[in-house]
Amino acid sequence: MAAKRDVRLTVNGVAYEASVEPRMTLVDMLRGELGLTGTHVGCEHGVCGACTVLMDGRAVRSCIMLAVQADGAEFMTVEGLASEAGELHPIQQAFIEERGLQCGFCTPGFMMTIHELLQETPDPTEEEIKDALGGAICRCTGYESILKSVRSAAKKLQALG
Amino acid sequence: MAFEFPKSLDDLPVSKVKWVGKPVNRVEDPQLVTGKTEFIDNVTLPGMLHCAILHSPHAHARIKSIDMSRAAALPGVVTTLTGEDAERWTRPMYTTPQGWGGYVLATDRVRFVGEPVAAVAATSRYIAEDALELIDVEYEPIDPIVDAFAAAQPDSPKVFEDHDDNIMYQRIFTWGEVEEAFQKADHVYKESFRWNRVGANPLETFGIISEWDIVEDSLTCRGSFQTPSFMAMGRAATFRLPSNKVRFIAQPHGGSFGGKGGGRGTDITLMLSRKAGGRPVKWIEDRMEYLSSGGSQAWDRHYDVSIAVKDDGTVTALRVKLLDDMGATAEGFGATGAVKPMASFTGCYAIPAAEYDLTLVATNKLPVSPYRGMGPPPHNFVLEQMMDIAARDLDLDPAEIRRRNFIPADQFPYIIASGNEYDSGEYEAALDKVLEMAGYEDLRREQEEARAEGRLVGIGVVSTIEPGVFDWNAYTVIGTAGIGIPEGVTVAIDTMGKITARVGFALEGQGQYTVITQLLAEYFGTELEDVRVVHVDNLSAPPNFGPGGSRLGVAITGAVLGAAQRLTEKLTKVAAKMFEVQPEDIELLDGMLRVKKVPESQLSVRNVAAIMLNRSDMLPPDVDPSPQATFAWTAPDRVEPDEQGRVKSYLTAANACHLVMVEIDPGTGKVEILKYYIADDCGTRLNPANVEGMIQGALAQGVGAALLEEYVYDDDGQLLTASFMDYLLPTIHEVPFPEKAALVTPSPFTPLGAKGAGESAIHTTPAAIMCAINDALLPLGVRAKEVPASPNRLWKLIQGASDQ
Repeated sequence: MAAKRDVRLTVNGVAYEASVEPRMTLVDMLRGELGLTGTHVGCEHGVCGACTVLMDGRAVRSCIMLAVQADGAEFMTVEGLASEAGELHPIQQAFIEERGLQCGFCTPGFMMTIHELLQETPDPTEEEIKDALGGAICRCTGYESILKSVRSAAKKLQALG
Repeated sequence: MAFEFPKSLDDLPVSKVKWVGKPVNRVEDPQLVTGKTEFIDNVTLPGMLHCAILHSPHAHARIKSIDMSRAAALPGVVTTLTGEDAERWTRPMYTTPQGWGGYVLATDRVRFVGEPVAAVAATSRYIAEDALELIDVEYEPIDPIVDAFAAAQPDSPKVFEDHDDNIMYQRIFTWGEVEEAFQKADHVYKESFRWNRVGANPLETFGIISEWDIVEDSLTCRGSFQTPSFMAMGRAATFRLPSNKVRFIAQPHGGSFGGKGGGRGTDITLMLSRKAGGRPVKWIEDRMEYLSSGGSQAWDRHYDVSIAVKDDGTVTALRVKLLDDMGATAEGFGATGAVKPMASFTGCYAIPAAEYDLTLVATNKLPVSPYRGMGPPPHNFVLEQMMDIAARDLDLDPAEIRRRNFIPADQFPYIIASGNEYDSGEYEAALDKVLEMAGYEDLRREQEEARAEGRLVGIGVVSTIEPGVFDWNAYTVIGTAGIGIPEGVTVAIDTMGKITARVGFALEGQGQYTVITQLLAEYFGTELEDVRVVHVDNLSAPPNFGPGGSRLGVAITGAVLGAAQRLTEKLTKVAAKMFEVQPEDIELLDGMLRVKKVPESQLSVRNVAAIMLNRSDMLPPDVDPSPQATFAWTAPDRVEPDEQGRVKSYLTAANACHLVMVEIDPGTGKVEILKYYIADDCGTRLNPANVEGMIQGALAQGVGAALLEEYVYDDDGQLLTASFMDYLLPTIHEVPFPEKAALVTPSPFTPLGAKGAGESAIHTTPAAIMCAINDALLPLGVRAKEVPASPNRLWKLIQGASDQ
């Protein structure tokens, strides 16, 4: 076992410091060390996208990143979507209204990917949505309702300006 | 007393239906979208250890020795486990058919790649996995038995030495005058087909935390159980413990589709906990473990099929010979998937005679598990190819030959040749709806134009049955016991008028808690927010099974309505005393208990419940102060099968008709889905958005099965598809978004007329896509007979055609 290393990072606006083995994955740190269990692990080899979080605004797969690589970075996870008072984010509202989920296990990863998409492309075309989501797997919905959720979320966010 | 269930939404005790049948938002979702839902891997208990399991790298080998000493000495490793512990503490695994399994950890030999051999419990998963590398196992490899046909030969080497051969089960079922029908037929068509292994792959794998109380000898397991009570019974049997000392708490889980697995992981963690003095032991199956050793694989089939047909296209008999490769053991209930096609053997057709020649064979591969649909999807694939083969030869349109063979709408309830009873259906109406939506004649013209340009464009049109509401009696022929499968609920109203429903199954994705909420809010005239559904453990819940066999929506509706009716009887007696009338003079309407014909004499349900709880002085003598009721529902009118396995098994028969247009790229063999249309009839839709979601989801799984997904073993029994890089799940790019229509032919046999829903598309989609592919290949004179129709397979077929 290699010596532990200190990692400092910010998640959803909160600063954390933890001492971790160099081999620890980012998702294990988020879930196990920081208690942020909303990010889920679906495949642990970077294919399914369930573990997607935003690192400095970019979607990354936290199962194939090491915690030590996250030192100094700013993260957003599913726990950071709703307001502190519990008001749901437009993406979350859209998923509920458009039935963008069934079992809900892949959903946090999808929502973070969509958050990145809509930041960069507020009014995406169907092809842009599909390209953005092409690396994420949902086994329940058959994706149609997720596509609708993205469209609805885009409208909601645009209305908010 | 006999219960009269409301037959339709109009029979509910409300003047206007407000919730049931409406696409209301799901009560499950706010927790899920915020990441708050307690999936098993989110649960941490004090003192908890982490398990890692060592799996066999060999498909077939003798275990000469296992040395755990180096692993046990690693700091952080608390205890270790091998097959010796399993032999000491457990019975061999229960299997169906019986007698085809071993212990949960291999003892003298391993029989498939991925079979658990040893396990450790350590203070972290990282340390536990380090320890696996320090386990020294000496194997003596044996030639693996991988090919199903070779395995079925009498002189084949054997998977289990104590059996005479590898045949787990063999039987020919004959229904009606099959031989005579074939002799008299104007035409007989024969073909062979291959369906390769596919499987469930929920996004969350199996996970569990087990605790063995070494003082009480009682067990507590928290985990992602699809059927917690059923698994608890299995543990009591495995460990020879009193069943009331086995407590199972199902966590919400990330899908299952029948293939969650988990039996071995449960028993392994329990034994580790026992050896660790009762500390909780967690095991989260990783994806590669799931793919190679979990509940991941189903339906590994070789078919020979023939049909007898008259000149006018009427099919008079169907013969299906199936060699089904079960893998190494019969531990996963996968064998039931070979029997279920008997519930819809002849599909939507009035085929009077049929024969099922069924062989289940053991090989050195992962034992198969259930998967959504439970077996008919491959059966429907072969049946529907035969219908198209007949249509082509007789120069009939594929839609027309199906129309000519449909069970007519006026003949329901209809008993099919294999014995099951279909409750109701409008198959021709569904077909017509799809043809109209698609603009079928124009599509065929479009296809002709494309063909004229040399493009490979084809259309498939297929109707299927989704047998709904499974009953154990369907599986008697392979050794399961019992008739009926109760699903219960306890409904309680508290002093504030809030309603709680307690059930024995956890969230899985189908939205059942929402349906329960709709039903209770409707029945007692409340808002949705006034109802809460909670899961309780197997020792606290009424009899239950959970989701499975396309059954829970109907069963829980029966349970909820039964409990609501029982509760209303209590409330009615209290209200009658308050108004000084007889109970039969009281009725429930819109949440009020009122004196019939005197609507101003009324009390709210909430008030009556509060009186029951807080004013014993006002209670009638025969009413206890408990505004609660429990009811468990099971399908009515079920019996044992006859000597040919014929039985009314699945209570409902939903119907779907799919039309798909595809194009094959001759240069690559890749299939593109150009158009897709669905008409789906699952009776009354309790929450139409739930149903629509499951149709689309099952469609995606059907696309995967038809075009992408396949577990591949090499000749040494090594799994070549042990990651998502190799086992290809459909993404948003591959799944079409069909135009969908809903038809509603209520079931006459179920509460509110609902039918089992949620599987229909996986029954239909693979068959429809394969029909379209073969339609596209028609000008080349070749036929795709193997699923999935992956690009390499189709490319080779097309190359073969141009070589001729």
